[in-house]
Amino acid sequence: MKNIKLLLFGLLLISWQLFPLSIQIRSFDHDGFTRIVFEGDQSFQFKIRSSDSKFRLEIDKKVRVEKEFIQINNSDLLDKVVFLEEKRKSVFSVFGKGGFEIKRHFVLERPFRVVFDLVKSGPVPGDQKPLKISHAEKSVDRFEKNQESENEFKAGKQGQKKLIETICIDPGHGGSDFGALGKSNLKEKDITLKVGKKLKQIVESRLGIRVILTRKIDSEVSLNSRVSIANNQKADMFISIHVNSSFRKAARGPETFYVSLKATDQESFELARKENKSFDEIDQKAESDDLKMILWNMAQTEFIRESSKLADFIQSELNVLMNTINRGVKQAPFRVLMRAAMPAVLIEVAFISNAYEEKKLTNDSFLDRIGQSIYSGISKFIYYHNTMNR
Amino acid sequence: MNKKLIYSLVAIAFVFFITSLIIFLKSRSSVEPKVENPSKSVIQTEVDPPQLLKVKIFYFTNKSRYMKPMNYELENSPIKIELYKRFIDLIIQEKEDFITPLPQGLRLRTLYYIGSKKLLVLDFNENLVTRFPAGSSSELEFIYFIVDNICFNFEEVKMVKFLISGNEYNTISGHIDIENPFYPDYRYLRIN
Ligand SMILES: [Zn+2]
Repeated sequence: MKNIKLLLFGLLLISWQLFPLSIQIRSFDHDGFTRIVFEGDQSFQFKIRSSDSKFRLEIDKKVRVEKEFIQINNSDLLDKVVFLEEKRKSVFSVFGKGGFEIKRHFVLERPFRVVFDLVKSGPVPGDQKPLKISHAEKSVDRFEKNQESENEFKAGKQGQKKLIETICIDPGHGGSDFGALGKSNLKEKDITLKVGKKLKQIVESRLGIRVILTRKIDSEVSLNSRVSIANNQKADMFISIHVNSSFRKAARGPETFYVSLKATDQESFELARKENKSFDEIDQKAESDDLKMILWNMAQTEFIRESSKLADFIQSELNVLMNTINRGVKQAPFRVLMRAAMPAVLIEVAFISNAYEEKKLTNDSFLDRIGQSIYSGISKFIYYHNTMNR
Repeated sequence: MNKKLIYSLVAIAFVFFITSLIIFLKSRSSVEPKVENPSKSVIQTEVDPPQLLKVKIFYFTNKSRYMKPMNYELENSPIKIELYKRFIDLIIQEKEDFITPLPQGLRLRTLYYIGSKKLLVLDFNENLVTRFPAGSSSELEFIYFIVDNICFNFEEVKMVKFLISGNEYNTISGHIDIENPFYPDYRYLRIN
């Protein structure tokens, strides 16, 4: 019995050494909050201990890091991250420039990420004095138990994902920004507002979920303000509604977009051609450093997988309704989606530049049906999201 | 019993020693500095470049959402930036049988190339925003018509950034972010 225990202990020690977890850390200041992401090459269990101007992420695994000390230069709120190994425990200590608190934290899969959104706390910024901590002193990492709040979380298999409670609907354009124009002078901004209001009413009445609109009237709202409304209201989903227009007058059909910035190159294109495959079937090149920088700049980065799922659900409903060629789900760097800190999609309901679809867009019952279809897509996503997180 | 215990301990210690050795050797090899490829800065010789350069320009048609190629010849130049300018002037000309997804009166004001990033910066006149017909697809058609054609024909260009009258803009008509540079998206291209 003793032998088995010893053997197990030995094996544990070996696996701890042999399969270290590799963690990459990135952080960025967004509108009203700072996000720090710990991305692992495998999943891990963790504990969080937080106090006024620092928090600890404790992992019961050996962790491999590139640097044990990271000075964060691009943040108003965060100062540095220090890594230490304690008795069979790997600890990241995150230090703020002043007081901060964890507004929320959640776990995302594929790749496994623990995401923290932090906000300033305590006195007004003018009163804050940055912590004077010598970088050489490892004692900075010793948290004094009595100062520490009881704010300890244990990450179980369920993670900390929350259910969907608020949806932000964004009717595109407005005011002096007409959006695209039809031949009959039909304006994109009017259709998006009608569809947005209908959708709000259906979602509220059937799902009992809080819905906020980025504009309720024919007013001009900047792209930055639209996404700030969603972020500040802590929306769990962002749906931007637009009407499409193309240089090709024959173009028609609904399209749902989510943000993605995949790098593509000629080599993969040539490969696709040689193998007689579509370009989408070919593995594209790994993201370049420049592209990673753009991705890390986006609040949306952490939600791309969920956004793509949401886009799938909505697009399938719209395809059934419109009975047109499946233009499908697409990826493009939409400005309004990039800074959304939640699953976010942009729907182009139809082409105003196509004579047939422009006529349809003048029909209120058609707009009703568009609202119904988007609602069906949303409710299927909510079911998927809630069951996946249970 | 005691012997067994000693054997087990010895076995564990041995395995632990071996794994530690492997990890040590692995970590040593991983800290070796990466050497940049020094051959990148080779100066191109300018020995009689061909008078005409063969290029493929991809165009949209009314029937297809994909761009299809046409072969053209462009007057060559040993000065790359001059060549890019000629190429862009060629692609922004109206073509009868194809759709050129450009606003009326579009003109390239200036351009420059940042070698370290393989980035080509194109500065267009204000007509890009003032006379653009709006719509997401229109924006995407314009952006990738320019970006895909340049990157496809000039492999030293990996990214393209747009300026309008020398200024950065958020979007052309309220949709696609143009503050960041674009990589090509060859999903818009079809050879056949
Ligand atoms: Zn629009």
